[in-house]
Amino acid sequence: MNWIGLQTLIKRELVRTFAIINQVIWPPVITTLLYVFVFGLALGSRIQNVQGVSYAQFLIPGLIMLQVIDGTYSESSSSVFQGRFMLSIQELLISPLSALEMVAGYVVAGILRALFIAVIITALGIVFVHTAPLNYGLYFLVIVLVATLFSALGIIFGLLAEKFDHIATLTTFAITPLVFVGGVFTSVAFLPPLVQKISMFNPMFHMIDAFRFSYTGRGDVPLALSLGVVMFLAFAALGTALVMMDRGFKLRT
Amino acid sequence: MSVPAIDIRGLVKRYGDFTAVDGISLAVAQGEFFGLLGPNGAGKTTTINSIVGLSTIAAGSIELFGHDVVRDWRAARVTVGLAPQEYNFDRYLNIRDVLIYQAGYYGLRGPAIQRRADALLERFDLTSKAKQVYTRLSGGMKRRLTLARALIHEPRLLILDEPTAGVDVELRLELWAFLKQLNADGTTIVLTTHYLEEAEELCNRIGIIETGKIVALETTRKLIGDRSLQDVFLELTRR
Repeated sequence: MNWIGLQTLIKRELVRTFAIINQVIWPPVITTLLYVFVFGLALGSRIQNVQGVSYAQFLIPGLIMLQVIDGTYSESSSSVFQGRFMLSIQELLISPLSALEMVAGYVVAGILRALFIAVIITALGIVFVHTAPLNYGLYFLVIVLVATLFSALGIIFGLLAEKFDHIATLTTFAITPLVFVGGVFTSVAFLPPLVQKISMFNPMFHMIDAFRFSYTGRGDVPLALSLGVVMFLAFAALGTALVMMDRGFKLRT
Repeated sequence: MSVPAIDIRGLVKRYGDFTAVDGISLAVAQGEFFGLLGPNGAGKTTTINSIVGLSTIAAGSIELFGHDVVRDWRAARVTVGLAPQEYNFDRYLNIRDVLIYQAGYYGLRGPAIQRRADALLERFDLTSKAKQVYTRLSGGMKRRLTLARALIHEPRLLILDEPTAGVDVELRLELWAFLKQLNADGTTIVLTTHYLEEAEELCNRIGIIETGKIVALETTRKLIGDRSLQDVFLELTRR
């Protein structure tokens, strides 16, 4: 195992993140603050308690997941695609880094980035909404699993894409709609019975529900089910990214 | 007798129906300065990419210092440094960090690597630009940085793809002197170039590729005889 190579790649990814901090760190933080003030504190004061907490407190874990999902996918996909587009990924391809080490580098960097964003938003939640996780073990576990899943998806789409526009396709037509109907803003218990059943097939619902469990100690479905779904998807995406990297898909001619 | 620096046997590379490299076999001895020449599209870059791992191989084998580039890829890659024709540097790193991070990918770090990076920047007259990103460098500086990056992990084999493309005469002569010294110090060098006088000046031996096949493989002196390399080249590659 080329540990120094792996650490170097992780460090390089974080250098990239902080070089474009106004694109990847502050926007999710500011957007979350706006959601909290407008939906949570202003409109939310007119909404009854949800899952035993105020609406603003209910909102915070969903917003953290929203930003973790969006942030990890967009960062890893753009980094891989940009590396292909600018050919700088050849620095990695000719070096003694294995496919596993390359995928691990992008994914671990994605997890660290996600934790950074999540911790900032969590701190904002503590200050402005007076809510904090009850179960930090579950809090970190879900962030790590979700960041792994979307970093791996970012690698997959970063390899598949032929232009930057293709990367946005998954965000626009799948991630954003599924996250928004997946329980960020409302409990599925408030939805019509048929929509509730359909929600069970929305993977974002399970991510948000499992993460909210770390804050409220309760969820719309059993924790084991939502964690199981997230774990399965994370491992499936990771396996796919690894196979594509190992075969040099669109990397090695 | 030592193992060859490069031992290519029956290399075949196809892109769909098109055969870019058609059964090439050649060996480059340790310490050689070898020129790989050919017209555009002849298969030079594909051969180089297969050696360094940027292309997969359809058939045949490549060994670098006895290490198979597929089965023993990690050991093989440590031995080789590539200076590509394109400026494919990391745009988020300053040029000193370009060298240090590249060393990191090869599993190297620490004060010795930092000293080596500084020495290479000094050698290629880039010290004053160390904290700048590569996009701010001139073409000649980028070309020198390409070479510095290829050398940061002290490879035993250096592959140069058009190393003097787009540089002025003064820098070209300076790079020639540097490469001759590097070769004299023991580094095996493989060069591809469209400047035939460059190959004639630097290379002990030359291989010419045409439509994916080796059409000549001789010492430079024997290949040229009493003619010019340009005449020989045109005769062998005229389609």
